[in-house]
Formats: sequence, C-alpha cells, structure tokens
Amino acid sequence: MLLIQTNAIADALNSSEWVFPIAECFHITAFAWSIGMIAAVDYRLLGFGIQHSKPSEVLRDTAPWTLLGLAVVLLSGPLLFLSDARMYLHNPSFVFKMYALAAAILFNYTIHRKIAQSDASSQGVRTVVAVVSLLLWVSVVFGGLFIAFA
Amino acid sequence: MILELFQWLQSLSFMTFIRESGLEYPIVMSTHLTCIAIFGGLIVITDLRLLGWAFKDKSIADVVNGLRWWKRVGFIIMFSMGFTLFGSKAAEYYPNPYFWIKMSFLVLVLIHAIIFRPIVYNHPEELDASPVIPTRAKVAGALSLIIWTTVLCNGRLIGYYEPKNRGFSISKPHEQESASVGRLR
Repeated sequence: MLLIQTNAIADALNSSEWVFPIAECFHITAFAWSIGMIAAVDYRLLGFGIQHSKPSEVLRDTAPWTLLGLAVVLLSGPLLFLSDARMYLHNPSFVFKMYALAAAILFNYTIHRKIAQSDASSQGVRTVVAVVSLLLWVSVVFGGLFIAFA
Repeated sequence: MILELFQWLQSLSFMTFIRESGLEYPIVMSTHLTCIAIFGGLIVITDLRLLGWAFKDKSIADVVNGLRWWKRVGFIIMFSMGFTLFGSKAAEYYPNPYFWIKMSFLVLVLIHAIIFRPIVYNHPEELDASPVIPTRAKVAGALSLIIWTTVLCNGRLIGYYEPKNRGFSISKPHEQESASVGRLR
C-alpha cells in the first residue's frame, strides 16, 4: 500500500522536469529563511547581533518566521524524498541528515528555547547552547548537500 | 575572450586541485550553502524589518547596525567559496544560462547597495524618526528579498543544465555532473 502510494507520488513528481528543481528552490530558500532566524537567536546568545534586545526578545520576534520557514522546508523536503524514496533510504548522507535534523529540531524547541527565554542564564550556558545549535544546523545542511556526493 | 579567461582560471593549479579533489569540492559547496543558511537569513531579518512586517518593537537602527557585520563576514565567506566553485569549473559554467542569470542578479545586488546604502542602510536613525517607515526603505527591503531569492534559485538551477542537450535536465542531484566530477571515492 505504502509502496503504491509512493510510486504514485513519485510519478507525479517525475512527470514534469520542473517539479523537482522548483521544490528544491523552495526547500533551499525556506531553510535559509528558518535557519537564519535561529542563527539570529544564536548570535544574540553569543553576545552579538541585534542590539538593545534580550535573547528572549529575539526569540519571540523570530519564532513565527522560523516556524513558517520550517513548515515550507518540511513540506518540500518530503516531496523531494518521495520522488526517489529508495535511493534516499540507501544514501548514508540522507540518513545522517535525518538524524541531524531530528536532533536539531528537538534541541531547538527544548533546550535552545528554554535558555533563550531565560534572560537569567549565564553567558557560559548561552555560549554552549548557541554553538551546539549552530553546529546541529550546519550538520543538517552538510548532510543535505552530501546526498549528491555519497 | 571571456571563455578564454574562464579556461585560464580553471587551469590554475588551485582550481585544478579543487576540481579533481574528492572531499574538498563538496566541502566547499556545503560551506557555500551553510553561509546561505546562517548569514542569508540575516538579510531576510533586515528586509522584514524594513518592510515593517516583523521585529517592530526593535528600532530599524538596532536591526540594521546589529546585523551588518555578521552579514559582511558571511558575504565574504560565501563569495570566496562561490568563486572557488565557479573557478574550478569556469569553462563549464560559461554556456550555462542559469549561471549568467545568477551573475546578473548579483550585479543587481551591487546596484541595490549603491542606490540604497546612502539613503537607507547608512542612516537607519532617520527611518526610525519617521512616523511611518519611508517608502524608500520598504522598496529597499522588498527588492532585496526578490533579488536574493532569485540569486539563490538560479544558483541551484546551475546544476540542472546539461551542455550536451543544450537544455534542462531532470537528472536528480546525485546524477548531476557537479556530483559526478567530485564523487567520493
């Protein structure tokens, strides 16, 4: 059943040569959008970035836009995946990317959010959280690009 | 003339090394892409603020000045990586229409900066002093969003052009020439 569905979706995706590249453009634009918003919070946590604002304020301002970007990423991504599910599942970079993505999203909405919201947290904790956040998202991007090379 | 220049660039030892390398080429490409993510988003934040769509409780001056140096650092890394990617395969890029569209829009980025830096970005305090966001700031933000999105999308489409067919190819990323040249061994 799943296989039939997957094939139907794959056929639709592969029917026009423009569908895949356009989905990819949405995917790339939206990840720049969402990761950039998260990065702005990270720069603030590191002590730089938007002036005269607390990390909690930067988080509050960026959160809806981050979510919007992530929504587009998480809609376009599965489309790309379903166009050739078998290839992706056997691609070690893709598997790595999925683990990194799960970790990055989980981290972003738990520890990252908690520390960014707490204006009392120490600079040491903030720095560690910002660096982990940036590293996780960079891993996702690297994993994504390496799908083509693995 | 331009093609010869491209061929010369590509023949430089550093560019040849990147082209024939295993891991280096995709690492340069990933770094280019990572810069888009962790610095490109800052452009979006500035643009949204100029448009008045977000971050309205922060002054335009705080947003523009606070992100300016991050954007500059990001741009320098992104540009160096992009130039390396192009230089290592310059002759292949020459017939690629998406490459030229991307370059044209990068020229528009430059023109945008020349026009709007003196009247918007260098004087954000004036924008904050105005009761409503001046039209010139909104225009700057909107154009910036459009230009950068076009740069981004055409950058990706470069990989889809196949000189043999003189056209567009449906080949998936892992089948594209950019991947096969630097395929891991």
